Amino acid sequence: MRPPPSHADVHLSLPARPENVALVRHVMGAFGDAFQIPADTMDDVRLAVTEACTNVVRHAYDDYEGLIDVHVRPLSDRLEVTVADTGRGIAASTDREGPGFGLPMIATLADRLEIDRTVHAGSRVAMSFNRVRVPLQAA
Amino acid sequence: MSAAVSNEPSASALPTSVSIAAGPLVGPVLRRVVGMLAARADLPLDRLDDAILVADLIAARAPAYAREDEVRVAFEPGERSLALVVGPLRAGGGQALIVDAAVPGVGNVIERLADELAVLPDGENEFIRVRLTYAGD
Repeated sequence: MRPPPSHADVHLSLPARPENVALVRHVMGAFGDAFQIPADTMDDVRLAVTEACTNVVRHAYDDYEGLIDVHVRPLSDRLEVTVADTGRGIAASTDREGPGFGLPMIATLADRLEIDRTVHAGSRVAMSFNRVRVPLQAA
Repeated sequence: MSAAVSNEPSASALPTSVSIAAGPLVGPVLRRVVGMLAARADLPLDRLDDAILVADLIAARAPAYAREDEVRVAFEPGERSLALVVGPLRAGGGQALIVDAAVPGVGNVIERLADELAVLPDGENEFIRVRLTYAGD
């Protein structure tokens, strides 16, 4: 694996629309290629980031258009990805009963997860993925 | 996850932009964003290739003229068109970047591929705006 330079941050700012979730997912592939991050790690990164962005598209902005901000920081031992919005904050889904699967799935895929949720002041999901991962052991 | 993906997105009033620290990610990230936005703008394959070529040239040349240690690009997608606004660049950097895109024996690639090309001064900064369109059927 090739280590990234000391400063290799990428920041994307996009309208919170379904088609832009695909764009973010496509861009994430550049990190795997540039730094030779293992494919299974990148699969987890793409899935978690897709889920975080989809949450923004579905829930952040009720009746107006807002932005998704994605910040990616490749470090020597891990990839840090933050997905943020300035919408209504993380709340229970209005289109289904009970909590969704999105955040628990992100928590499973990421090695570290931090969620900032402030009602009416947006949300921030910060994920960290180790470049070298320990495979899960069978029970 | 049940978000529907539209094949015909309508225009958004909100901007799409990317800033990339100067280094190995400028090319790969910019190429992917431009390729996807050009495809979404319904540019035909040859113009999509042109857009990616322009993106590669900007990625290769812009870090030398960027105001800070990063390349920033804002995108203006339209109907069968895509514009890239690159900057802030330092004073004189806009024209220098365009001149720098000349390839021996080929000429200036950005000038030849762009339908519109302008250097936009903004105080001590400059931006270049490159627009590619397709006017065919």
